Amino acid sequence: MEENLAFGGWSGIFIMAVYGLLMLGIGLYTYMKNKNVRESNEEYYLGGKGLGVLVLFFTFYATQYSGNTIIGYAPQGYRIGFEWLQSVTFMILVIVGYLLFAPRLYTLSKKHKFVTPTDWLDKRFKSKGVTILGSILMLYGLGNYLLEQLVAVGQGVSGLTGNAVPYQIVVVFFIFIMLTYSWLGGMRSVAYTDTMQGIALLFGVFILILGSILYFGGLPTSADYMQAFSPEKLGVPDTGGIVGWFSMLALVTVGAAVYPHAIQRIFSAKNEKTLKNSLIGMSWMPFLTTGVVLLIGIIGINAFPDLDRMGSEQLVGMMANVVASQNLFFYWAMVLLFGGIIAAIISTADSVLLTFSSIISKDLYGKFINSKASEHKQIKVGKVTGVIAVFLLLIIAWYPPATLYEIFVLKFELLIQIAPAFILGLYFNKLHTPSVFVGMLAGTIVAATMTFTNFTPFGVISGLWGLAINLIIVVIGSMVFTVQKTQQDEAQKVIGF
Amino acid sequence: MLKKEPIKNRKLWITFGILFILSVPWYFPTGSYDPIILGVPYWAWIIILVSLAFSVTITYAIKNLWISDETLNEEEDQ
Repeated sequence: MEENLAFGGWSGIFIMAVYGLLMLGIGLYTYMKNKNVRESNEEYYLGGKGLGVLVLFFTFYATQYSGNTIIGYAPQGYRIGFEWLQSVTFMILVIVGYLLFAPRLYTLSKKHKFVTPTDWLDKRFKSKGVTILGSILMLYGLGNYLLEQLVAVGQGVSGLTGNAVPYQIVVVFFIFIMLTYSWLGGMRSVAYTDTMQGIALLFGVFILILGSILYFGGLPTSADYMQAFSPEKLGVPDTGGIVGWFSMLALVTVGAAVYPHAIQRIFSAKNEKTLKNSLIGMSWMPFLTTGVVLLIGIIGINAFPDLDRMGSEQLVGMMANVVASQNLFFYWAMVLLFGGIIAAIISTADSVLLTFSSIISKDLYGKFINSKASEHKQIKVGKVTGVIAVFLLLIIAWYPPATLYEIFVLKFELLIQIAPAFILGLYFNKLHTPSVFVGMLAGTIVAATMTFTNFTPFGVISGLWGLAINLIIVVIGSMVFTVQKTQQDEAQKVIGF
Repeated sequence: MLKKEPIKNRKLWITFGILFILSVPWYFPTGSYDPIILGVPYWAWIIILVSLAFSVTITYAIKNLWISDETLNEEEDQ
């Protein structure tokens, strides 16, 4: 979708301006309604812990699904065929991952007034090491996640603007809007804009699948084609595919559920009922999102055969071009879709950025650098660091370094390393804190080294190897070293169950 | 306080475990796809069914196995 969208140009710019102004309007509206939002961390970062079910649902949705879910997942379906059904299952499994800890963590977050995910680690382990290492892992993972969104938004925007204006201007415009509404209303703005962005994305996906079926032929046509020319995309995957599938499911179940910005959404729920209903809704969304996107990829196999890897990355843009050229309705629907994709990228970026800022302002600055700072001051520090981070990452996105690019790829592999501390800490008061720290550190080093050296024994992803080592250290450490009775009691008091 | 939490329900995790194992098509012959129904190979339909069963189980677990004081208070209010 980089350069050749037929509907790029002024209509694309028009739609982006409309989306941008809408987001800004939502930000202004939430600001007018909650003027004291910037005085307390809970108000700013968690929307005063008052998100209702619809908004909470969409903000979970926008966090879990990004623009990449469409423009990246459809090509994957194109390349491997029905094997990519795993994208439906792993998105469902994320919710199974939540069931491992969300009920208890939610209850504790109300009791202890948690704002950031690190608040939990800090309360539970009372260890500088765990708190700081956990924060750094989260910041690093979130930073790279944000970078990925900035790269994606650049590609999306350049496709939609055509050559009418330099795409960098539009990217800066969106970042300006994103920062403004986040600054104005904090989590409330982010969550309300997520709602708009989520609806735009869902609408776009449905129009695209409708258009694809109408103009390229439906699944049976594609199945006939695959039967003749690429039966491997239709058949049951071989052993390598099966192992990859299993390890993907395992990684995502634990990894995606402990995304720091996802955890913060658990803290933001107005009450238990809204949280439960949002999660129930989320458990069905994969069928409507990744499932539909898979079908788009499958139809693409017949519509644009024989694309190489690079070519297939452009698949959604190519399909949208054909659909858009049919009539005025589809033309504008495709403009809306691509605007929606950009909005979805922005909506993921804003959630990530808000969590990033909260960890800096509350966990690092407020706890270790200036413990006397007022919450107002903490929020200010978070905002300023957020802006600096965005612009540094933007420079990396636009001028990618020729070497050392790998350090910007790590995210899941590192984020998943906080899972043992995070989840086991909820249930076992005999968890040995130094072992938790060492496990987290060792898991991180192993996962990072294996990623850099491209070493994946048995086809199992590096993050999982790191997690396994991390878990072994935590479990064996807690069995070998006894935790003092006073510490056990203290942990028991925090957990309270 | 939590009266019931999903993580403590053994049957739930056995169910999740079975679904997890069934959600990857290792138990079909490699490369097979016949019959194709509505353009989707038979094994993919089974995987879709397993995924639906996952969502049903999650919905059931959240509704019935996650019960706290807050849940009970809400029910009383209604």
